[in-house]
Amino acid sequence: MSTEPALLSLTEAAKAIAQKRFSSRETTQSCLDRIAQWQPRLNAFMAIETEAALAGADAADAALARGNAHGALHGVPLAHKDMYYETGKVVTCGSRIRRDFVATVTSTALQRLKDAGAIRLGSLQMAEFAYGPTGHNSHYGAVHNPWNVDHITGGSSSGSGSAVAARLTFAALGSDTGGSIRMPAHFCGVTGLKTTSGRISRAGAMPLSQSLDTVGPLARSAEDCALLLGLMAGADPQDPTAVTGPVPDYTAATRGGIKGLRIGVPTAFYVDDLDPEVARILEATIVVLKNEGANIVQVELPDQRQLAAACQLVLAVEAAAFHKRWLIERPQDYGPQVLMRLQNGLAIPGVSYLEAMRWRGPALAAHNAAVAGVDAVIAPVAPVAAPTIAESDVGNSLEAEAVIQRLTRFTRPINYLGLPSLALPTGFTHGGLPVAMQLIGCSFDEAMLLRIGAAFQRATDFHARVPKSA
Amino acid sequence: MTRPTPKEIKAMADVAGVPVSAEVAKRIANSIGPAFEGFAPIAGTLPFDLEPAGFLLVQQAGEASK
Repeated sequence: MSTEPALLSLTEAAKAIAQKRFSSRETTQSCLDRIAQWQPRLNAFMAIETEAALAGADAADAALARGNAHGALHGVPLAHKDMYYETGKVVTCGSRIRRDFVATVTSTALQRLKDAGAIRLGSLQMAEFAYGPTGHNSHYGAVHNPWNVDHITGGSSSGSGSAVAARLTFAALGSDTGGSIRMPAHFCGVTGLKTTSGRISRAGAMPLSQSLDTVGPLARSAEDCALLLGLMAGADPQDPTAVTGPVPDYTAATRGGIKGLRIGVPTAFYVDDLDPEVARILEATIVVLKNEGANIVQVELPDQRQLAAACQLVLAVEAAAFHKRWLIERPQDYGPQVLMRLQNGLAIPGVSYLEAMRWRGPALAAHNAAVAGVDAVIAPVAPVAAPTIAESDVGNSLEAEAVIQRLTRFTRPINYLGLPSLALPTGFTHGGLPVAMQLIGCSFDEAMLLRIGAAFQRATDFHARVPKSA
Repeated sequence: MTRPTPKEIKAMADVAGVPVSAEVAKRIANSIGPAFEGFAPIAGTLPFDLEPAGFLLVQQAGEASK
């Protein structure tokens, strides 16, 4: 086990604090030291709350000394994407418009982590209003990839990906509407879980698209994601779209092996036009899964391009509707790319939007039929590793939307179908950039994805590698 | 289903209460056009008795089987 607390996994850190091998203050100070070292080069944090974090850590240590541990995350410092409302805190949503917005409620996901004893390090950078897959932000600057600071982090949970990868926080909440957890997990080499629509309450989380938004964690391992999911999932009276069924024991699921499981590899779309390094890593990942006992089978999925297009129609309209008032009153306060993308929603007739919504059921049924008998599907998160910040800075140019759509073409279909997907670090390019694959599961079967992911991570060390500071 | 022209987009944006310039309408047409084309094989093919909530039925059938 590491002597630097910040280098532990979330699960290890929580245990170390509970067993008093490290105090919460030592652990929090370790994260703060790394933040001080990395933040000038990464720009991963929106706000760093040093004094409050240390005061919270001291309170956690005092409570533990009295025998009053709060829960599974007692004294563990965390930071989250700056779109989760917390009463009394400024929540910028990565925007100029909400630069001074003070939340009057606390999001359910955040509250459940607080109830489990987590303390707050600050808030993390993000794409403006979570509407961008690269990590650029025209108001607060681009977030940088800790594996190579000239490269993007992916977005929109850009700060979450960067901060977890650099070991500045043990885990972070992200959100995934079109790939916003999986893209930064892929580009930054961390584990990210896009949950099934309805699995985690969205109450108190900034909306982008009510049909597609999902809450989920970015963390250092599948085991850590399982711990967080178990704490956050479940019914919530504040969000009637959150499902009411029992919450499985996700941590127990991570202990299972994968011998005999059937893992599908798509015959098309997800394997087309891949960068050779991504293709090589997909093949190597399949070999590991085979070696662990999984049966690899080919699956012929329905036309994913239609799903991606439907996702774009739904997202564009719903985002434009949320933002309409500000589009009228404050268009000058948006960044050029986000303004352009919000305006796209104005061009989609209501009938087309509703057709895209009505097709979701048949599309999901067709997908379910195609993967019947398969426990999960494996596919790349993106066709390339992280491009440079400069080459992907397309702003509101004529080609911008096409660049964005190409980058997110493997993630959007999954949002449209509302399925869970676990992005796992599965290798590195020869240039040292991480590459992830996504395990795509059946609705509400996150446990299966975490089981496969944990087994893969017991057999490999990609998730445990730490970027070196200069 | 065909991609809207900049002229049509300008009119739609006006009706929505968020007027855009001709230049912006052209950019929107360029951005959103591929989504219209991608969805075109589905548009106009859906059966009458199908509403958006059908998605939840399919999804929850999956949940019940877990």
